[in-house]
Amino acid sequence: MVTVIINGKKYQAEEGRKLLQVALDNGIEIPHLCYHENLSSYGGCRLCLVELAGRKKSSLVTSCTLPVSEGLEVKTDTPQVKKARRLVMEMILPQAPDSLRIRVLARELGVSAVSFPSEGDGCIRCGLCVRACEELVGAGAISFASRGSARTVEPPFAEEPESCIGCGTCVVICPTDCIKMEERDDERKIIRWKRTLKMKSCVRCGRPFLPLAMVDVITRRSTSPPPGERLELCPDCR
Amino acid sequence: MRNINAYVVKTLSSREYIAPGHRACAGCGEVLAMRQVQKALGRNVIVASATGCMEIVSSPFPFSSWEVPWIHVAFENAAAVAGGIEAALKVLQRKGKIEGKKIFVAAMAGDGGTADIGLQALSGALERGHNFLFICYDNEAYMNTGVQRSSSTPFGASTMTSPVGSAQIGQLTWKKNMMAIAAAHGIPYLATASPSYPMDLSEKVAKAAKTEGPAYVHVLSVCPSGWGIPSDATVKFGRLAVETGFFPLYEIEEGKYRITVDVEELLPLEMYLKPQGRFRHLKPELIEQISRRVRAEWRELNRKAEEQKEIEERE
Repeated sequence: MVTVIINGKKYQAEEGRKLLQVALDNGIEIPHLCYHENLSSYGGCRLCLVELAGRKKSSLVTSCTLPVSEGLEVKTDTPQVKKARRLVMEMILPQAPDSLRIRVLARELGVSAVSFPSEGDGCIRCGLCVRACEELVGAGAISFASRGSARTVEPPFAEEPESCIGCGTCVVICPTDCIKMEERDDERKIIRWKRTLKMKSCVRCGRPFLPLAMVDVITRRSTSPPPGERLELCPDCR
Repeated sequence: MRNINAYVVKTLSSREYIAPGHRACAGCGEVLAMRQVQKALGRNVIVASATGCMEIVSSPFPFSSWEVPWIHVAFENAAAVAGGIEAALKVLQRKGKIEGKKIFVAAMAGDGGTADIGLQALSGALERGHNFLFICYDNEAYMNTGVQRSSSTPFGASTMTSPVGSAQIGQLTWKKNMMAIAAAHGIPYLATASPSYPMDLSEKVAKAAKTEGPAYVHVLSVCPSGWGIPSDATVKFGRLAVETGFFPLYEIEEGKYRITVDVEELLPLEMYLKPQGRFRHLKPELIEQISRRVRAEWRELNRKAEEQKEIEERE
């Protein structure tokens, strides 16, 4: 355990934890969009900036990538931090002008008028879906493509991703809800990735409940006990 | 959101705020719900818990399962105490003693502590508009004292104080509609939830925690011991309750109804009632009578949700 100082107060924390998590655990609010406690840190949205204190020249760092060490001192609410966060938000907001969550966060940070052209499709390039697909699901069906302002999140070659199993994790984790999923009859569509999957139907009630691709992956990965009958029946019939 | 499972639950918090080793029965649906609720609420919460199953099983002296600040209060005043904590927090924040911290207050009670004994305290707290969340874990009777009827016990259920015999067929009154009572206070957020749908539940609890002002979440907690079902069937009966329309999952946000787990065609109610020990005695005509009422309430709920959709489309 190490002692860190946040806004002048001492807190105990496990060494190596990210500062953002330590702050959130202790009830100190730091806005963030690209951080998730079950995923690796990425430092993409730049909203969680904090100021390192106790230096001649103050410097801003993203708290989600900052591991805590003994005596680390930061301030989360200085005018400089607030100004930087406002600028970051001014760049995020035009990318997702329709997202309620982003709009609420922008209002909290004091951003209303936007000086950049609004041309976003909702994706703020936070990379949560990319990391969730890789780290939580193990599918790796999507990744970042292109560079600079043309950077997007895409399946390989922007074609229908074969390795997508249609689990819906990206749909749930997206902070702006720009990844949509649709179910019709025995087909599931993840609209943003243009992925269409056939669903497996329950042998008892006949209702589709799980994409076939996902059944394959679960069968392959489970060694003991084998899933067997559990995957033949939908959750309601089990 | 009905058919997402397996990998999606990995997006929930990996921390546990309810420690294992508590005294809940095998297969308890209520402690399952409590665990999921705590995961959604996180660490910065103060919980006021009324007397009930969850208080008994989580805090046998000198132990505690709670990893967040927790107060056990009397049976009737969980909401009042939560209101008091919220007011005290406001004062402390104004005086600058806990600056920069966002602390949330939740009150928890069983169906007895909500619909019977705690109703006036709840009503008062909702009406005063405290910024807190009230969670009702509804297992449809007073379970920890040995299954006595409450006003939340459904029609026809056999309990110790509404027994089956030549004179009566179990509970003679219909389940109290707590959602309608709470909604009548005009509070900003209400929802029903079930631990059998973990993503739905945590989404609703997180939404309720973000709401400014009072919020109410009614959780159906399947009770294997009291309902007379095998202890490995908890999740199944939670799902059956939703699929048969017996306990629809919906939310009311600023007066707008929305069904969150849509059921295209309701399953026959027998599937839910017949396997339960407390409904075993029900004759087909009585099940038919209950079914008619359940379907009427489902249609009414759908009508409200449809109306809402139409209004939104017109706008």
